[in-house]
Parts: sequence; C-alpha cells; structure tokens
Amino acid sequence: MKGTLTQSMAWLHTWCGLLLGWVLFAIFLTGTLAVFDKEISWWMQPELIDRAQPASEAANLAHRWLTTHHPDESNWNVSLPSERSAALGVSVGERRRGGEGVTHLDPLTGDTLEPRETMGGNFFFRFHFSLNLPNMLGIWVVGLAAMAMLVALISGIVIHKKIFKEFFTFRPAKGQRSWLDAHNASAVLLLPFHLMITYTGLVIFFLIYMPAAVDALFEGDRQAYFSEAQPTLAAMRAGERTRPTEAPAAPLVPLGDLVARAEARFGPGMIGGLAVANPGRANAEVTVRPVLGHRIELTKGEAMVFNGVTGELIREPEASRTSQLIQQVMAGLHFAQFGGYPMRWLYFLCGLISSAMIATGLVLYTVKQRRQGTNHAFLKLVESLNVSVIAGLALACIALLWANRLLPTGLEGRLGWELRLFFGVWALTWAHGWVRKPMQAWREQLYAAAALALGLPALDVLTGSATDTVRLSLLACVVAMGLGLGWTAWKIPAVVAARKARAARTAPIDKTPQGVSS
Amino acid sequence: MNGSALFASLVLAYAGMLGFCLGKERHWKQLIDPRVSVRLRPLCAPIGAVLLCLAAFAALRVWPGGMALVGWFGAVSLAGFALLMLIPYAPRVVTMLPVLGGVIWAASLV
Repeated sequence: MKGTLTQSMAWLHTWCGLLLGWVLFAIFLTGTLAVFDKEISWWMQPELIDRAQPASEAANLAHRWLTTHHPDESNWNVSLPSERSAALGVSVGERRRGGEGVTHLDPLTGDTLEPRETMGGNFFFRFHFSLNLPNMLGIWVVGLAAMAMLVALISGIVIHKKIFKEFFTFRPAKGQRSWLDAHNASAVLLLPFHLMITYTGLVIFFLIYMPAAVDALFEGDRQAYFSEAQPTLAAMRAGERTRPTEAPAAPLVPLGDLVARAEARFGPGMIGGLAVANPGRANAEVTVRPVLGHRIELTKGEAMVFNGVTGELIREPEASRTSQLIQQVMAGLHFAQFGGYPMRWLYFLCGLISSAMIATGLVLYTVKQRRQGTNHAFLKLVESLNVSVIAGLALACIALLWANRLLPTGLEGRLGWELRLFFGVWALTWAHGWVRKPMQAWREQLYAAAALALGLPALDVLTGSATDTVRLSLLACVVAMGLGLGWTAWKIPAVVAARKARAARTAPIDKTPQGVSS
Repeated sequence: MNGSALFASLVLAYAGMLGFCLGKERHWKQLIDPRVSVRLRPLCAPIGAVLLCLAAFAALRVWPGGMALVGWFGAVSLAGFALLMLIPYAPRVVTMLPVLGGVIWAASLV
C-alpha cells in the first residue's frame, strides 16, 4: 500500500474485489437462484401435480393413508402442500432423516407418486454457502469472501468521488467509462441491499466464524446456549427422548382440524407440515409447524403442539430472547422467507443486480488493464476466469435444468449425474475460456447459455411435463434471462467496433496518459 | 396480498427517485423540455422526498411494519436502478412512466 488514503483504498478495493470476486459472483448468482429454490425443485419434479387442495384436506388425506399403511409406527411426519410447493409428502420414523423415505401422495386422490430423484433448487441453496466443498472448507471460503465483500463495499465508498453527483449517471457505449458507471450505479443504488445481504450472511454462521463469546460463556457447551435461549423448546426435545411409547389405544383427532386451528394462528396457507408422535395411542401428540415466513425472523423449530386425542393445545410457540431474536431477524433478512412473492421478487431482482455489480467490477479490471497494456499472461488468466465464472456459471446453471429433463428418470444415482453434468459443463467453459480469445469466448458462452435458456420451454413440452402457474412462471423467467444473455452476446461486436474506432481516432493525439478516474 | 398497494408503492418509489433525479441540473437538461421554467427544478427533490414517504405508506398497506421497511428499501433501490437504465435508452419513457402508472392505478380503483 502506498500514497494517500484514496490510493491505498483503491488498491485494497481492486485486490479484494478481483481475488474474491470470482467466488463472490458464484455465491451471489446461485444465492439469487436459491430465492426460488422450491419453485425450481417443483419444476424439476414434473411427476408432482398441483391439485390446489387446501392444507387441511391434504392433512386428512395423509391421515387416512398413514392409518391404512403405517398404523403401528411411533412417528408420522407429513409435509403439506403450500403456495410455493404443492407437494404432499408423508414419512414415518425419526424426522431427522431428511428427505430419505418420503412417500409422495397425490393430494386429491391419495395415489402414491414417484417423482424423479433430483438435486432440485436446493442445490443452488447449498452451493451458495458451501460451494460443494467437503467438510467446513466451503463455509470458511464463503465467510472469507463475505468479509472481502464488506471490505470492497466500504473501500468502494471511500474511493467513489461523486456518489451523489453521479447517483443516476449511466453513459453506455463509452468503453471503460460505461463499465465504471454501471459498476458504480449498481453498487450505490443497491448499497443497502449489498451491506444487508453480506452482513447477515456472515451472522448466520456466527457460531462457526466467531464462537469465542458463546464458548466462553457456556464453557464450550453450545447446546446449552440454545437451551437457555428457548427453554420450553429444549424441555420439549428432552421430553421427546424419554417419552414412553406404550399407552392404551385411543383414536387420533382428525389432523385436518388441527391444521385449520393452526392456520387461524399463523395465517391461511402458512402451515408447512406436522408430526404425530404415538398415533392411535392415548399419549399421542401432534406438532404443527408453520412454513417459515409469517414474520421476518427465522423461526426454525417453531410449532404448536396439540394433544392427539382431545385436540387440546399443549404448547404455543414462545417468543425468543433478545440476543437470539436479533440473530434470528438477521438470518431471516438473509433467508427472505417473509412477505410472500412480492418480497421474493424484490430479493431476486436485487440479487441479480448484485451479481451484475460484481461482474461489471471483474470486467472493469480487465478493461482498465488492457488500456494500460500491462502483464499479458496475468491479464489472459483474469480474462479467461471472468468468462468461465460469469458466462460459464450461467451456462452450467441452465445446463442443470436440461440435465434434469434429459437424464433417464430411473437412472441409478441420478443426483450424482446431475451434479457431474453441472460441474462438467462448468469445467468445459473453463477450458473453452482458456483456448478461445476473450471476446469470442464471451460471445460463444453467452450465446450457448441463451440458446439453452430459450430452448427450455421446447424441451419441457417434448418431455411431456405437467404445466401450472409455478412451472410456467419459471419457464417465462428463464426465457427472459435467455433474452438478456442473448442480447448481451449480440451487443459485444458493436462494443468492440466502437472501441477500435475510438482507439483509432484518439491514438494519434492522445499521447499523454489520462488520469484514471474511479 | 394487496396488489393495488404494491403497485402504488412501486410507482411512488419510482416517482420519488425521479424527483431526486430531476433535482440535478444534468438530468433536468436531459429530460425536461427547455420551455419549462428552470425555477421549478429546486422543487423536485423535496417533492421526491414526499413521494418516497408516500411509497413507504403504501408499503405499510402491503406488509406489516418491519417487512414494509425491507420492501420499501428494495422498491426504492430497484426503482432507482430502473430509472438509471431508462435515462440513456428510453429518455421519453422516463417522465411518462409515473403518469402512466398513476393512471393505471386510478383506473384499477374505479
């Protein structure tokens, strides 16, 4: 670092932004897609049909099915159809097992369905904080990138000379000027979003990144921290472990009624699922869980517990303590499960612009370096990385949707094949970006991504999928993004021509180096 | 979900940002007919501020308190970005949009 504050901040901004910008772009783009994770999952399992059944009806249907097929199990779990995912799933045994052993039912007829195995939208969600790296490595890399993002944001504010004067300024088709304008404007106008999403992203993993305070206060017993924050829930969990299963037979209260009562508390359509302990016994208990998102804070584990025979309400959700509440509000702000579809769209669009902000920053570096004519080997590396991280990742994401439709439904280890295709396509774009000249690589990859995106509806029709509002909206959205990608690729030759013309025009006169304005 | 209030909130957020934008000399010259008196320009930013407050009020009709704040920030940011992109590519649409939005909103009420 050298010189004035502005110079050293510019140095910091450049290197933080460049070295972690590639990771940040991947995190932001997949995170943005994860806003619609359930909708993507729904599209990726075309065997499931939206029957527009109310949750209480679906609960009754699940009740009948479980009574017929699993009367002697000690635990039933039901996930109910909701606005975002109209699937009805039932399973028996411990809930902790995740997606394993879930039987999908048609919410109207009660027939069992066999949806294809798929990574689903959950892949984007998991990738955006773990990068699919083993153990905790990904979480640490993402944490480092988030810190770098904060550093880049703050240093970016310091080095931006005309924040208010150029608040609404964008001058297209002017080379470096335009890239800088686009980078500045997308950063400044969405600054509250960038700061919020980055900071709250770090807060989610506070126990991993900054465990010292909690470890010191609770002597390393992290479970104790959670128990103190939510005593009733902790007592309930402890009770679950010791509760006897032997009790006289007694009929289970209709589950649909309990769902209707919980809907009165949480709002219609806000019930995500329920769990029944000891169904058909006198000590039966029904836990009804809301979907996340009837409030800002992330309230995982929140539930209403009913007596399974009398239907009496045993436990209401408790309010969190202040420290926990602040953490939950921050996590909730990041997870964006509240406020319904309008809020989801706001987050999605903000996320897209954030990704574009990072992308323009990465491109800006190469535009600047090319003008200054420095170190060609390094510039080539940066340029090829830019292509394959920005255009290549977009291509790989759309390729994952294609893989979902093209791979045979009964394929052994289908999840792994989807993953392999995603990373395989992405790896190919790296090779391609290295072999081709930068501008050609950009165009070809963007065109390929656009073609896949625009062709997705045709593929969908050819593979004979069910259509409903969610699936059609997803296709419309992908087509819109395909048009955007195609337009960008189509514009590139004009931009290059303009640059060459300008260079030819100014070269004879412009001998003195211009001050680089940033 | 209150669609009418959501629409109003987005239009008001855009109109508010347009107010701040027209308060700047550069954009006033870009977007406003030269026959309009320049003395109106200093009024733009305060009017923009009022419109943004109204956008917040509309957002409160869509979401409860805290969520409305988040939604308002999002709407204002995105409206500002939309404005930024429209200025070079479709300068005539820039000032038409809030009028059009207002008309549609009023028509939807009737």
